Amino acid sequence: MTKNILVVDDSASLRQVVSIALKGGGYNVIEACDGVDGLAKLAAAEKIHLIISDVNMPNMDGITFVKTLKQKPEYKFTPVIMLTTEAEEEKKREGQAAGAKAWVIKPFQPQQMLAAVSKLVLP
Amino acid sequence: MMDMDPQMAAALQTFFEESRDLLQDMESALLFMEEQGADLERINAVFRAAHTIKGSAGLFGLEEVVRFTHRLENLLDRIRSGSKMLTPSNITLLLSCGDHINDYLDRLASASPLDQHFLAEDLRLLAALQSALEEKSISADSVSKKGAAEPFSSGNALEVYAQDENPTGTDYEFPSENPVKTAANWHISLRFGPDTFRDGMDPLSFLRYLQQLGEITGLVTLTDALPALCVMDAETCYLGFEIGFRSVADKASILDVFDFVKDNSTIHVLPAHSQIAAYLKMIQQLPEADQHLGEILVAVGSLTSEELEKALALQEDTDQAGQHLPLGEILVDQQMVQEPVVHGALEKQQQQRESKNAERQMLRVRATDLDHLVDLVGELVIASAANRLFAGQEDLEPRLESATQVARLVEEIRDGALQLRMIDVAELFQRFPRVVRDTARTLNKDIRLEISGEGTELDKSMAEKISDPLMHLVRNAMDHGIEATEERLAAGKSAQGCIKLHARHDSGGIVLEVSDDGGGLNREKIRRKALEKELITAEQMLSDGEIYALIFAPGFSTADTISDISGRGVGMDVVRQNIESVRGRIEINSTPGQGTTMRIYLPLTLSIIDGFLVRLAQDTYVIPAEAVEECLEYPQTHGSIGYMELRDQPLPLLDLSTVFKKTVFTENRRNIVVVRHGMERIGVVVSGILGNQQTVIKPLGKLFERVPGVSAVTILGNGDVAPILDIPTLIQRHYAISAKSAPVH
Repeated sequence: MTKNILVVDDSASLRQVVSIALKGGGYNVIEACDGVDGLAKLAAAEKIHLIISDVNMPNMDGITFVKTLKQKPEYKFTPVIMLTTEAEEEKKREGQAAGAKAWVIKPFQPQQMLAAVSKLVLP
Repeated sequence: MMDMDPQMAAALQTFFEESRDLLQDMESALLFMEEQGADLERINAVFRAAHTIKGSAGLFGLEEVVRFTHRLENLLDRIRSGSKMLTPSNITLLLSCGDHINDYLDRLASASPLDQHFLAEDLRLLAALQSALEEKSISADSVSKKGAAEPFSSGNALEVYAQDENPTGTDYEFPSENPVKTAANWHISLRFGPDTFRDGMDPLSFLRYLQQLGEITGLVTLTDALPALCVMDAETCYLGFEIGFRSVADKASILDVFDFVKDNSTIHVLPAHSQIAAYLKMIQQLPEADQHLGEILVAVGSLTSEELEKALALQEDTDQAGQHLPLGEILVDQQMVQEPVVHGALEKQQQQRESKNAERQMLRVRATDLDHLVDLVGELVIASAANRLFAGQEDLEPRLESATQVARLVEEIRDGALQLRMIDVAELFQRFPRVVRDTARTLNKDIRLEISGEGTELDKSMAEKISDPLMHLVRNAMDHGIEATEERLAAGKSAQGCIKLHARHDSGGIVLEVSDDGGGLNREKIRRKALEKELITAEQMLSDGEIYALIFAPGFSTADTISDISGRGVGMDVVRQNIESVRGRIEINSTPGQGTTMRIYLPLTLSIIDGFLVRLAQDTYVIPAEAVEECLEYPQTHGSIGYMELRDQPLPLLDLSTVFKKTVFTENRRNIVVVRHGMERIGVVVSGILGNQQTVIKPLGKLFERVPGVSAVTILGNGDVAPILDIPTLIQRHYAISAKSAPVH
């Protein structure tokens, strides 16, 4: 069974590129444009095996999004990769406290994202 | 674009569009703050725009954009954290940076080279950003290590893509990038933290991933930490692994595999068969019994039994106190520290959501797809009208009922389809704050812009066509309308001039207004100029409206000197032409000393109009309903003279049958439809009036497009073609003919 990855980021081009890289690695990708959309996509999807979320997003930011989803029993053990920048040390810690234990520093290359994902979930 | 695969090329297009939108948002937020003062939410929006562009640019290997936005972000970050002020000069700098990124993206999109001009601007802005960062810095921390004025490496946009294959500037080491080395043996000791499962991590995936770096030569799973089944927590990870590993990767790359778990887990990576002391230290730090662990290391192949014995002997000698691992405690501390911060972030988030949020979810659709849909809906409207017509003829009640039902639904679909083409007028207006700001600076006038009527919607293609004329009107009002500061003060006005942009709905159309509080139009000056240009004769008596309308005549300009701002007098007639090309019209109201208002009337949409159907002999013609003022019965007693009296005003009459050379048998009852264009009215004589109907506009083919008096055609329910009358041309022609025949009277 192909693993489903939810990519939450307000940049459509970022989602598009990440999606290309992950699909190339044998994953299935579902996209969402912010935290609110992310929660909606989670509710609609059958099962999500991994979540990639940006921190700084409109409507609902990544930290709130992760905190909210981690309260749902079905996503308690779902790995979350946070996208941060070097400048956002504090955000990174907030994200970890919220339940996102993995992170990738922006800007990144598509292959780095694939590597990070495959450390956590096998295709 | 070199060998970029189509998917990535499509993603790049998305990136261009998205970046332009973000830059626009950034500009709006900056301009708003320039007026209203800085607020955190908008600073954050500006930051996010730069941040998102940087993040995505990195994905495409656009290192120049990454480096530039990185600098921008540095300054924005300081502003956000309050250590820098958002000064007017910083706003100007940030606006220029936005323009610069836009310029770069445009060049990239059109594959045009980065010329000297661009590079000079790049250097200037980077230097300016640097000095903005250094200037009176509260915390004197050093900026990026990369040089401040590092020039672009390439003079050609295409080369940027070539860098794709060789990513630089990222702080993320990817194992495969390391130079080829000979394989070495490693020993990896892993004790996954108890929270590993709860953190969403799976030890197995890390081990699988490890195999991408090399070969696992031996592995023992440690179950020592597993408690008795009755006290075991299924969510807690008790597992440990000792692994023999053969790989060309260096220690950092191997450690990097476990990057995500390193905070809560105990990880040791040692070269095999060496540094007994290192093994010893590791053994002491691990919770399992030393002897047991040593045996495992031997079993894995990382140590020989002799090496183990030596190590244990060494341990007895030194008898070091066991060092505790502070990592877990640090994390607990961190979580305690972070808790209030998280709460703070949540509250802020809540407030943001409650406040009006401009960032809406959107779906991008190709304009051509939409046009096609609207086209089809137009056909559907016609087909549905035919359907209802025939149903009516059959005189079958249920059939007629269902046909009516279908017709109603089709009308709703039509409204919905047209709605899709609508954009908020705010999108049209959004470029104006910047234009007004920059123009005011160039003119050295203090002018503020007031925008109202956002939420009014208009057709997207209309918005595109009207944008430039509107821009011209605004610039013109700033240049010629608003007086110089001294003049204003002398006239008892405030020093600051005001330009207002307003939009509203008005009887099935849209009205856009550009007003200024300047000196108003100078009637005499316009008249004199028009005489000079021989646009009018000295005898002509003209109303104010007619005089004002002269400024739209080709080649008319009252500016004493030609300025950069409003051009060379080619503008205003082009403005009028552009507005008329979307079936709109423009009117001027002006009060001397108080200002001028230019009012643009636009139809709601370009593809469907409210038609007023008239009959001429057996044929049907359509008059755009917006032009119709009233309908009269043709006076029976009236002869065939070319005008009649209507409420004490002469009304010129135009007999359609003469225009289209149709033989009309004298009918007992003819009608007059009074139509208006601008200031001119005319009575159109027709055989009969058929009423209002939604009319889908079909353009005329090449052969017929020059037929005078007909702008387009429509197809009626019964399949007949009906010409749509071009009222402005008909009126013009009529006046031209009357003028020629005038001397005879």
